[in-house]
Amino acid sequence: MKSLKRVAAVIGVGHSDWVGDWTRVRAGERPDDCYGYAASAFRNALADANIAREKIDGLIVGPTTAYERMAEVLGMNVRWGDQADAVLSVVQACMAIESGQADIVALVYGNDQRSVGTQYGGPQAMGGDQFLSYVYHSPWGMTSQGALYALMFRRYSELFGISERDLGHVAVAQREGSSVNPNAIQRKRITIEDYMAAPYITEPLRLFDYCLINDGGVALIIAEAGLAKTLSPKPVYIEAVGRYDLNKGATSLEPRLTDFYRPAQQAVAEQIFGTSGLDPKDIDVLQVYDSFSVHVPLALEGYGYCKVGETGRFMREDGIGLAGRLPTNTSGGHLSESYMQGWNHQIECVRQARGECGARQIENCRRVHYTSDVAGKAVSIIYGA
Amino acid sequence: MQTAATPPRVLGLYDQPFWDLLAESGRMHLQCCSACGAWRYPPGPACHECLSPDCEWKPITGTGELLSWIIFRKQYLPAYPAPYNVIAVRLDEGPTIISNLTSDPTLDDSPIGRRVRLTVARMDDGVALPRFEFADR
Repeated sequence: MKSLKRVAAVIGVGHSDWVGDWTRVRAGERPDDCYGYAASAFRNALADANIAREKIDGLIVGPTTAYERMAEVLGMNVRWGDQADAVLSVVQACMAIESGQADIVALVYGNDQRSVGTQYGGPQAMGGDQFLSYVYHSPWGMTSQGALYALMFRRYSELFGISERDLGHVAVAQREGSSVNPNAIQRKRITIEDYMAAPYITEPLRLFDYCLINDGGVALIIAEAGLAKTLSPKPVYIEAVGRYDLNKGATSLEPRLTDFYRPAQQAVAEQIFGTSGLDPKDIDVLQVYDSFSVHVPLALEGYGYCKVGETGRFMREDGIGLAGRLPTNTSGGHLSESYMQGWNHQIECVRQARGECGARQIENCRRVHYTSDVAGKAVSIIYGA
Repeated sequence: MQTAATPPRVLGLYDQPFWDLLAESGRMHLQCCSACGAWRYPPGPACHECLSPDCEWKPITGTGELLSWIIFRKQYLPAYPAPYNVIAVRLDEGPTIISNLTSDPTLDDSPIGRRVRLTVARMDDGVALPRFEFADR
């Protein structure tokens, strides 16, 4: 079976000052625009990789900025370019490297969603042009992506016996990680009681089930594996990638309400564990795209970290915190570190695999699984030291 | 008193007959595939089962099963002050539709799985909107 196993490795990561910019934006300032945040992240990634910009021959730009303008701002003429979201950027970079289109690819993302007031619910809801379900049901008052996950979680909880209190373990565990992460925006630890006492936004989801909305940028530099070894003292290899989409009935939420994304995740699990020769027991840290807490229990059972219907017990008893059986979203994720639409998770995967996470470092971390399942499109990467 | 307009409907080429037929007849109609009989929602140009473009707009029974429900506690839209409910219903014809329940779902211990029946609501600005009520009580 053909695969992208250890074709490429991450040699540099960087991000903007999420915490400082959060404070400034909350005070009414506009510290930067989306291109500026990306440029700041890119400078940091170049410094981390210790390479010159001129060595880079491929560029992938995130979906929130225009490709050409971003490349112009960064002063980059390249022989290969593309535009993609966080997880697909990594996949595309590996594909470009494997097919010889590029040797060293920069992945750059910037977003000024907080300071420009991007709306994720209401009449101007973002993403409606890409996902019809985000806007189609608004005549009935159905709006905001959180509400889609609330509707999904209600049925899931009733069918599979996971309670609202069980779900609270996601927010509590992620705050444990963010409390010892100097890059995290929300660092105050919370208890299950704090979680339960917080107001519902769309019942059954509460305040702490929702991600932050903040400004910032992220950049990664990915090199062909042989080159990576000569350029970096600690390359972090992409061990496996996989994808499966559930699109049938997507506008009326079938993949969420009937399948809970599970068939997609199971198909991706077969791809990533099959091609890498690894299995869930070999994964030291899990990172899950968490626009809402609900993504975490779905991923735990979808990828076989626990049995179907056992996520409540798994989170409660085995644990997903720093000392748990499967530390998950150790940086605090979108809920508590920074909402960089999956990009900050890639950095955390790399830093955990390098052993650079300080007080939140998981001991002997060798392999990190990242997964995203937005709207039933399941995509995963396994990173390895 | 000026009341808020119904939040905008997505009105593509294939959506218009859905709303026109509902307003005119007081019954919900869906496209039924002429080749294989599959029902389509939202309306669209081809059958998702067999790809045939041929279809007929037919009235549906309006009965189904409640799949899930939520309560909005925060207001997002002028026409919908919180709290209000949104439900998902699996129509007996097959498709799932997102709508509202005409009664308070929190009054029921476990509304998931209950039978529901379609009713047409008339919004303040005249828009006819398909909603559901419990059918088994």
